Amino acid sequence: MLIINHISKIYNAGSDDEVRALQDVSVEVKKGEFLVVVGTNGSGKSTLLNLILGTILPTTGSVSIDGKTISHLPEYRRSPWVSMVFQNPANGTAPDLSIVENFRLAALRTGKKGLGIGNNKKFRQLVKEKVAALGMGLENKIDQSIGSLSGGQRQALTLLMGVMDKTSLLLMDEPTAALDPKSAKVVMELAEQINKEMGITIILITHSMKDALQYGDRLIMFDAGKIAKDLNKDAKQSLTITELLEWFA
Amino acid sequence: MIQFYLTALQMALCLAPMAMGIFITMKVFNIPDITTDGSYTLGAAITAIMLTGGLPVSLALPACMLSGALAGTCTGIIHTKLKIDALLSGILVMTALYSINLIILGRSNIPLINTASIFIKSDWLGSELNGQLLTALTFVGIILTLLIYLLRTDFGIAMRASGNNPVMTKALGVNNDSIRITGLAVSNSLTGLSGFLVAQYQGFTDINMGIGIVITGLGSVLVADAIKQWFNVKKIGRQIMLVVIGCAVFQAVLAFTLSIGIDPNLLKLITATFVLLIVALPRLTAFTKHK
Repeated sequence: MLIINHISKIYNAGSDDEVRALQDVSVEVKKGEFLVVVGTNGSGKSTLLNLILGTILPTTGSVSIDGKTISHLPEYRRSPWVSMVFQNPANGTAPDLSIVENFRLAALRTGKKGLGIGNNKKFRQLVKEKVAALGMGLENKIDQSIGSLSGGQRQALTLLMGVMDKTSLLLMDEPTAALDPKSAKVVMELAEQINKEMGITIILITHSMKDALQYGDRLIMFDAGKIAKDLNKDAKQSLTITELLEWFA
Repeated sequence: MIQFYLTALQMALCLAPMAMGIFITMKVFNIPDITTDGSYTLGAAITAIMLTGGLPVSLALPACMLSGALAGTCTGIIHTKLKIDALLSGILVMTALYSINLIILGRSNIPLINTASIFIKSDWLGSELNGQLLTALTFVGIILTLLIYLLRTDFGIAMRASGNNPVMTKALGVNNDSIRITGLAVSNSLTGLSGFLVAQYQGFTDINMGIGIVITGLGSVLVADAIKQWFNVKKIGRQIMLVVIGCAVFQAVLAFTLSIGIDPNLLKLITATFVLLIVALPRLTAFTKHK
């Protein structure tokens, strides 16, 4: 599904403050896989996510999804394949717009934002149903501005918004880092549900060792711009939190 | 006396499209655009030259709006493609437009006497002013309806989100650059429309008529903003309606200052002071509250 082919990202090449964020990384992610990525700060995991999303371009190498090379496309043209949940819930939503308006835009991620009124009765009903499934009681507040909600509520909504339109790949960069444990659990369980029920491939970056063990069916560890470990489902299941922490020692 | 304030209302209605345009750039897109001074005069200049040349109003109207849109597009392209600060982009286009407007006009002032006019001239409505008010009101009504519709469409939601959170819209497949350019084009075409209306209403086009006009629009939007906060207005359609009301309030305040006998030469000073007051008041009250 996703093929990262010999990708490198070097900042300030040739100068004294040269930074090799990623060095010749190759990885293949299968359709429907839930890949968890761990690593210290600066190990290159966020760089990889940003290369897939398109906020930065690789120095060498390529990224392709479903057989199409996307590494040269600007971010807004990658939306047919890639959907992103940001670390900061504020990044993924337009605070002054209502819940239903945010969802409308998310539903049009790959489509045309035309001159018709798409925010109609039928769409509002759909949003109500989706939001009600979260069990946060937001279904009667869909006209409220999304900025007035808590970080946890916003992040859960962002995740739902991420799969409102068809998508092959959902990227999540520390989605629960800014959340309390209860909200974090809601978001992670929602991600698992999206992966299992909709078959959407997920790449999750996390600093939570507990989440890294509990969720996903493959675990990769980055170190100094390279992949240091790559565990499949069985190997990941037999891994203990102590062993995982030793990787960071 | 009533007549005096009705005249102010008439001027307000003529300027309302421009104020709505400024609402779009400033409040929807978060871009401080001052192309306005130039595109307003541009609209008025094209109106003058077309109407004195015997061309019909039905041609002058689209010409004014299109040229305004073109000016806005220039600012938008300079701002997004050359990554130049929005304020500076606007100043550049506005400055260039001064010369262009002079070339169009051929001289600094063209009177519009006995030319075709959009305003109903007959006094079957009681007086000439009533006819003018009705015409302007119709225009503002149409523009208001169209804008409210536009902002409620999928494209409109994308516009508002792009101003509110460009990081998000980029990830949602919105080309922030082209949507900003479109916004600036729409805004300045409305400003061109105001130039069209005012030129016919006051009966002349002057090369300097646009100087400081952006402040009038800004003031109207800020008055609307204050009302919006008092009454906690959330719906985008109602917010635009407030801009028209803000425009009327603004002109009424100016009319009042003139009526108490203040030197007309001080008008721009008073305008600027009034806008400063609207901006500063909420901050001053917030300051005392925190104390």
